[in-house]
Amino acid sequence: MAKSIAVLLDDKRIGAIKGSDLEGKIESMFGGQLSCFILEMDDTKAKEVMDAFDTARVDSRGFITDVPIAFNRVLFEEIAKTKSLGTEAIDGVLGRVAEIKEAAAKEKEFLPHPEL
Amino acid sequence: MSILIKRPAPHGGRLEERVVHDPELGKKLAQRCSASYDIKATLDENGQPVRNVYREIMSICYGFFSPVEGSMKKAEVDRILKERRLLNEWVFPYPLVFDITEEELKDLGVTVGDSLLLRLKGKPFAILDIDEIWRIDNPEELAHKTFGTPEDNPEVVQEPFNKKMPGWVIYKNLSPVVLAGKYRIINEPKFLPPFDKFWFPPLKSRAEYDRRGWTTVINHQTRNVPHIGHEFLMKDAGYTGDMEPCHGIQVNAIIGVKRPGDYPDEAIIEGHAAVNEGGYIKPERHIVTFTLWDMRYGNPLESILHGIIRQNMGCTHHMFGRDHAAVGEYYDMYATQTLWSKGIPSFGFPASINDVPYGLQIRPQNMKEFWYCPVCNEIAYSECCGHDKEKQKFSGSFVRGMVAEGLFPPKVIFRPEVYKVIVKWWKEFGYPFCNPRYVKEKEERLEVDLPDMDI
Repeated sequence: MAKSIAVLLDDKRIGAIKGSDLEGKIESMFGGQLSCFILEMDDTKAKEVMDAFDTARVDSRGFITDVPIAFNRVLFEEIAKTKSLGTEAIDGVLGRVAEIKEAAAKEKEFLPHPEL
Repeated sequence: MSILIKRPAPHGGRLEERVVHDPELGKKLAQRCSASYDIKATLDENGQPVRNVYREIMSICYGFFSPVEGSMKKAEVDRILKERRLLNEWVFPYPLVFDITEEELKDLGVTVGDSLLLRLKGKPFAILDIDEIWRIDNPEELAHKTFGTPEDNPEVVQEPFNKKMPGWVIYKNLSPVVLAGKYRIINEPKFLPPFDKFWFPPLKSRAEYDRRGWTTVINHQTRNVPHIGHEFLMKDAGYTGDMEPCHGIQVNAIIGVKRPGDYPDEAIIEGHAAVNEGGYIKPERHIVTFTLWDMRYGNPLESILHGIIRQNMGCTHHMFGRDHAAVGEYYDMYATQTLWSKGIPSFGFPASINDVPYGLQIRPQNMKEFWYCPVCNEIAYSECCGHDKEKQKFSGSFVRGMVAEGLFPPKVIFRPEVYKVIVKWWKEFGYPFCNPRYVKEKEERLEVDLPDMDI
C-alpha cells in the first residue's frame, strides 16, 4: 500500500514557493489551521526511506513519521527545487542521505527552541 | 439498590504507609542498621539509566502500590509471573525487587535478619529489613516472563519483546542478587519544583477529594503533554459517573525514566496544569498529580498497576484508550481494554479484572479515539462522528514532528498555554523531548532532595 508523508508549511516556506504551481497543491489540515504538502510514494520508495532512517515509522494514518528534522527540511528544499511533489523530490532527498544523517546526529543532542 | 457509586477501598483492604515522619525516630532506626548502601540507577548495556529503585521505594512506602510492602521474595515473584498475584492473593502485575551485585553483597556483609540503610543522593533515605536473599538466575528469562510471549500469551502478545522495549530492558539488566524485605522511609524526601505542587500520595489524595466534596473521580493516565485530543478524552470520559458525571477528573502522570521522544517530566506535569490554569477544564473539577515509576510500557499489565495506583488514591473510574502505556506493536492495541472487559486467561484472568477474586474495584471507562473532523468542525469521538474519510487524527508522532520543527501549533492541536510550557522546558534542556543527555542529568538530579540526617 502506498505511504504518505506530510511536509508542514509555515509562512516562510509558503513564501518560498509563492507564484509557482505548487501553491495550488497546498492542503489544509485541522480546519485550515495548518498547511502542508502531502506526498505519496509507492512501497519501494517508502522502504528506501524507512531503511535509510532507523527512527522512521508508519503511523496509524499510513504516514511516514519520526524522520529527522533535517529530512523534512531537505524534502522541502527538493520540492521547491524540483517544483514537484512526485518521485523526483523523494529521489533528491535519497541522494542527500549522508548530509541528512550528519545533521540528524547533531539533532539528537540539541534543537534550537522557537522564540515566542 | 443504590445507583450511587462509593469510593473504593484500597487494593488489599488498607493503605500501606511506611514512612517515619519523626526525624528523631528515623535517626534511631537508621542507627540500628548493620550496613548502608548508596542507591544507584539500573543501567542498560550502553550505560544509559533505565530505572531507579528509589521510585519504587517511594511508591511502595507512600501507599501507591498497596498492599505491596517491599522488595519481593522469590516465591512471590514466581507467583506473579505465573498468576499475576501476590502471595496474599491480591492481584499485582510486576515483580518489584531490590537488586545488587554479588560484589556489593560481599562488601555489605549483610544476611537475613539484618537491616540495611539505603542512602539516596548521599543522605539516609530508607531501611530495608532483609527477610530473604535470593538470586535471579536468568534475567533475560525473567524479562520475557514478566511481559509474556506470543506463544504463552497469544490473546494479546503479537511479537517477542526485545531491547527496544524499555520494560524488558529494565528486567534484563537487573543485578543478580535480590534482597527481599519490607522498606521503610526514615528521612522524608522533599520534592523539587515543579513536582512539589503535585504530590498527592493516596492518604493525601483521599483527603483532598473529601475537601473538594468529590465521591466519583475518573483518572487519566499520562506520560504526555496534553494535546487537544487528550483534553477531549478527559472531558468526555468524565461524563461517566453515577447519576451525574464524575465529580473530579484526575490526571496522574507517571514520572520517571521514559523512552527517547517522550516529553520531559517537567513539561508533562506543568502542561497538564496549564489545562486547568487556562480554564479549559476548570480547576474545581480537575487535579494534577503524579506517581514515581519508571514506565515498563507493559500495556495490559501496566494498566493493572495503573488501576491499583488510582484505586489506592481513591478514584472510582479509570479511562483507558487505545495502545494504553504501550510502545511498538508488541501487544494488541486494545489489549488493555480486553483485560478490563473480558480478561486475558493466559495472564491468569479468565474474566475482567473487576470480576476475579482479589481483583480491582476501580471501574474502567474504555474509550476509542478522538480526532478532528472538518465536516463537524469539532473534535469528534470516533464512535459518534460518521466522517471517516475526512477525519484528521491526532497522531502523537505527527504532533512531535511539528513541535520539533519549531512550528507554533494551531489551537486545535495544542492550547497556547500548553505549548508555552513545552517551550519553557525546551529552553531549559536544549531539547523538547527526552534524549540520552536529559535522562542522564535527570537521574543525577532526581525529583527530590533529602534533609541532612547525621547518624
